[in-house]
Amino acid sequence: MTGLDNHHGSLRVRRCLEICALVVTTGLLSGLLVSCSGENAPSSSPNQTESLAGVDADANGVRDDVDRYIDTTYADQTSADLNKALRQYAKAVQSSLVDADSQALSLTHATERFRALECLMARRPREFHAIFVAVRAQLLNTPSRSAAYLKADDQVKTANIPLLPADQWMTACQS
Amino acid sequence: MSVMNSKIVVVLSLSILLGAGWFPDAGAQVQSQSACQNATAPRTAIYFVNGVTTTLDEARLNGGKLELEFLSKLPTMAPTVQAMCHLFFLNINPTSGAVKDFLEAGQQRLGLTSTTFWQGLEGLGLATSGVITQVLQRPITNADQIDQATIVRHATAYREQIAPPSCRRVLIVPHSQGNLYSNASFDSVFSQVLPPPLGTLKIVGVATPADRVGGNGLYRTSSTDVLISGIRLVLPGTLPANTNWGISPLLLSPAYSGGHSFIGYLTAEPSRTQILTDMESSLLALAAVNPC
Repeated sequence: MTGLDNHHGSLRVRRCLEICALVVTTGLLSGLLVSCSGENAPSSSPNQTESLAGVDADANGVRDDVDRYIDTTYADQTSADLNKALRQYAKAVQSSLVDADSQALSLTHATERFRALECLMARRPREFHAIFVAVRAQLLNTPSRSAAYLKADDQVKTANIPLLPADQWMTACQS
Repeated sequence: MSVMNSKIVVVLSLSILLGAGWFPDAGAQVQSQSACQNATAPRTAIYFVNGVTTTLDEARLNGGKLELEFLSKLPTMAPTVQAMCHLFFLNINPTSGAVKDFLEAGQQRLGLTSTTFWQGLEGLGLATSGVITQVLQRPITNADQIDQATIVRHATAYREQIAPPSCRRVLIVPHSQGNLYSNASFDSVFSQVLPPPLGTLKIVGVATPADRVGGNGLYRTSSTDVLISGIRLVLPGTLPANTNWGISPLLLSPAYSGGHSFIGYLTAEPSRTQILTDMESSLLALAAVNPC
């Protein structure tokens, strides 16, 4: 057996190990992912409707179930600024869902979403992404809302939405 | 069961925050670049190009993360790089159709709710289920079939940045499938009848499924990137892994466990520092070339 054979053999073994590791970790973490799915879905909320727009009793532009999520998740005094940034983003997403059939309005709302996200990055420059993932999952909690969000994206897929530079992100905050 | 799973989520979230050094942070105004106050300072345009699991909002956040991390390291970069004014842009790779496919497949094949899907879009479950690989298979195995209109749009943007009156050097930082678009756009820019000066456009790839980087640019792919590792098993020509996420607890989070997230690459070490170092050396090379 030559050194090259040994090399190829070890490569094969390494590849097999990689595949085995992938299979094992996939099983473990996919299981975790699915096991976590049920009760985290806000669809169990009794006040939530399944319609695209949902219920916005206080007419603040944000669905009531999302309002509740933001208020309960970021209830403490030190999160007041974050609470406002998330509500700004939630309002822009809600508009995007409702107006997803309109290309012009989709562009307007995508721009609003960009400003809201820049505000979020300005206020939480280290942890913004985990916060975003969680709140967006609440916003897009039904297939119809998820589909409308993607349709709104599709409406502006060739648009060039201007970005604010990082030193101006604070100016994107509406409150 | 519900309480137990909630505890798991809390523990994972906490470990992510602690492990990544993500302590709760009050908003702090980012300082403007001093070179940008000087009208005669050379300008560079730094583009982020998103991958296939990235929606428009995530693309904005990925571009923002790149800007934040770059600006945080800029004061320690070479004086030549500090003397340049760096402007950040997005070149969007439209992904809504692909994400819709992932959503439908995730619901049908993995039994995910919409909420869980969005929580784990870049997690291990979707990355290894075959759902994403299936959607990626065609564009990744045949670069000719990636969207030509997008390539033209991206290449036009780069040419306009380099040409007068802008006269900017361009650095592209693509993620995942964005690398295929960036390579194709790079080729398009320099295959014109009157191409810009060589060396005015560079690429620093992240999590690349490609077998090359346009212009012999630099790249970083993590050994813990499940999606790219899976592609490499099918396509051995895929560039080898040359970084990792260390023992980052991000890999245990549903949101980042696929090891493929751009945010993860720019949070975990050593991948974060290596990407920023690659950007610095690419910008130094760009500085040596006059675009106009």
